[in-house]
Amino acid sequence: MLSMQQTTGANLAARSYELDDFAAAQEFYHAQGWTDGLPVVPPTEAAVRACLDWAMMPPDQLIGIEPVREQPVTAEKLAINAVMAGCLPMHFPAVVTAFGAMLQPEFLLHGATASTGGCAVLVVLNGPIRLEIGAGASFNALGNSDRATAVIGRALRLALINLMDVRPGGIDRSTLGHPGKFSYCLAEDEEDTTWQPLSVVRGVPEGISAVTVMAAMAPRQIMNEWTTDPREILETFAAEMRANLRHYSIHGGNYAIVIPKQLRDHIQAAGWSKRDIAEFVHERARIRRAEWADVGKGAVVRDRGDSVYAALDSPDHLLVIAAGGPAGGFGAVIPPWLGHKTKAVTAAIGACIDCEPPKG
Amino acid sequence: MTLRVLDPTHEMKAAGARAALRPASLRGATVGFISNGKEGTKGYFAALDRLLRDELGVAEVVWRTKSNYSAPADAHIVDEIRNWQAVIAGVGD
Repeated sequence: MLSMQQTTGANLAARSYELDDFAAAQEFYHAQGWTDGLPVVPPTEAAVRACLDWAMMPPDQLIGIEPVREQPVTAEKLAINAVMAGCLPMHFPAVVTAFGAMLQPEFLLHGATASTGGCAVLVVLNGPIRLEIGAGASFNALGNSDRATAVIGRALRLALINLMDVRPGGIDRSTLGHPGKFSYCLAEDEEDTTWQPLSVVRGVPEGISAVTVMAAMAPRQIMNEWTTDPREILETFAAEMRANLRHYSIHGGNYAIVIPKQLRDHIQAAGWSKRDIAEFVHERARIRRAEWADVGKGAVVRDRGDSVYAALDSPDHLLVIAAGGPAGGFGAVIPPWLGHKTKAVTAAIGACIDCEPPKG
Repeated sequence: MTLRVLDPTHEMKAAGARAALRPASLRGATVGFISNGKEGTKGYFAALDRLLRDELGVAEVVWRTKSNYSAPADAHIVDEIRNWQAVIAGVGD
């Protein structure tokens, strides 16, 4: 039986509720529409305070303001959602940084979360924090590989539901969505690659922990076990991107490709860097508008059949991620939600991305 | 033993979300359409244009289209709203 008493939590601004037990808490949170359908960890004041203390943040610290609906996000509210997702205090700094990055105007959070297109927020972890929190980058990297990536990705979705009203049929107007909406977080396998970490490629100093967020569609898996030539391997990735241009959206934007160890070893052995990969894929992942006629979209080709559309406006728009289990000639292409109308954002953990640069 | 747990929601209404006053009549009014530019808006707004003029006596209908269908209307479109007595922003997906 659920008995509820509404009070104000001492020192924290959030309303609090007294519930009979764990089971009652589950039913209460589900009934309010505050979950993603899975059980949640009841967010007690002690658990929320532990997250805030770990990140050294007062409860009312402003993480950011969603620019379209002008919804502020405080550290306390984000911590409540992180606890519900299963986060331990050590996971919270990654959640804070990722949500702050999502609130940057170029990410277009409202559009990405409201769109019928149905993307999810992909999070990539880099730097020492991966090892500190046990974020796995090997087996099942895009699945439920480990606790840290599972709860960090889930915390972002719960925060969207509860702080931005991104519920199905509410702000979330996705026609289909995809399973990444439960959690879509992976770490890069920096210890088993010669390549620069994604965060370093995107401007964060080496050795600094960082997150990259991207409004992303579901992964499209590829396989090529029959060559060691980087050009042939990457041609398979580029072909999958061309397929996405034909079957989903013709507009270029940030694409991510995930390259597990087996294929990575071949590409690295040939001396190719992430930049070499990006330049090759930039050249190869493009289609003519006329190709839309081959896949049932002839009505929109009109008189522009010879126009060429590139998946990447620039090689810089490709996010190359070293991750995945040690065996198998597989890889994944993760397309953008809506071309370049949204941009991936990378932010260092523990740094303020809205602060003024030092003067002088 | 009971559990004291916290509210995960924003617990507030979004700033600036107050609805504008409703006009008593649209007769002789100028009405603006802000389209997101999607294919489905064309037929929808065309039908609405006819209905407003023919049945409600609207004097003029101004059509505008956002440059990014997932972002707020462009500033120059928002500036124009002051010249209209009513505005309709349709999703048309």
